[in-house]
Amino acid sequence: MAVTRERFNQGLTYQGFKDSMTQNREPFENNERNAPTEPEDVAAFSRLSKPLDVLVIAGDWCADVIANLPILGRLALESGKLNLRVFDRDTNEDLMSEYLNGGQFRSVPVFAFFDADWRQLGVFTERPKSVTEFRAKKRLEIFTEHPEFGSPNAPVDQLPEETRTKLNQTIRAMRAETAPFANREVIRELRAIVEKVPVG
Amino acid sequence: MIKVTITYCAECGYEPQTLALTGALMKAFHEELSAIEIIPWFEGSFDVRVGNELVHSMYRDGGFPEHETIIGAVRSQIQSHTG
Repeated sequence: MAVTRERFNQGLTYQGFKDSMTQNREPFENNERNAPTEPEDVAAFSRLSKPLDVLVIAGDWCADVIANLPILGRLALESGKLNLRVFDRDTNEDLMSEYLNGGQFRSVPVFAFFDADWRQLGVFTERPKSVTEFRAKKRLEIFTEHPEFGSPNAPVDQLPEETRTKLNQTIRAMRAETAPFANREVIRELRAIVEKVPVG
Repeated sequence: MIKVTITYCAECGYEPQTLALTGALMKAFHEELSAIEIIPWFEGSFDVRVGNELVHSMYRDGGFPEHETIIGAVRSQIQSHTG
C-alpha cells in the first residue's frame, strides 16, 4: 500500500526525533554541526519553488542513521525547502515494509522524497553504494596488512579476544578516516534526487 | 559440555533476535550448556556457533536462524557427546 500524505503527517518533526532520542544524541548533533555542506549544495535545495516532503525511517541505535540523517537535517535547516517527518523503524512496520532494501532488508535510514503533488521523486537507503564499495576495499586492505585477523569473510568469534578488539578498533578507525568521503557522497546522492525537480 | 556463541550486529539493532534465541536456548537446555556467549559486533553479522560448528551465518545463509534449527544442532551435539 502506498504511503499517504495523512500517514506522512503522523511522523515526528526532525527536532521531535532529536528530542525523542534515547542514545547517540551527542554524536548525532556533532555530525549535524560538522556536515560538510557547501553553498552550492544548499543552493541545489533552496532553488526549489515549493518545499518537498521527506519521509524518514530511522532508529537512534543505527550507525548509518547517526551518520546520514544529520546531513539531511542540515540541508533542511539551511535551505528551508525540506519538510521532514521521521518514523521509528521498529514501530512503523507498514512504512518499513514499503521501503525494504532489495525487497528484503529493513535497512535504515530511508529518505523518501515527495513533491507537492505527492509524486515520489527518489529514495535514499542506508548509505551510498560507492561508500559501501570503498569501505569494503579498505576492509580487505586491513585484512591483507594484518594476517592475525584471519579471513575477511570468517566469523570473528574464534579470534582471540585481544585480536578481536584490535580488529574492531582498526575497522572503526578506517570508518572514521573515510567519513569525509562518505559524507560528500551522501550529499551528492541527495542533490541528485532534488536536481531532477524542474525549477519554476 | 556444549558452548553456544552468538555474534550479533549491535549497530543493526539485532538485540531482540539475540535475546530471543538466548532465551530459547536457556529454556530448552537449562544447565546442560557450558555457556552461552554473546559477542556484540557490527558489519551486519548474526552468527551462531554450537561447539566448533558454525550452524548459522547471516553472511553465508542470509537472515536469522529458526530457533528449532539451533536447538536441534545443540541437541545433536549433546547426544554425540553422551552417546
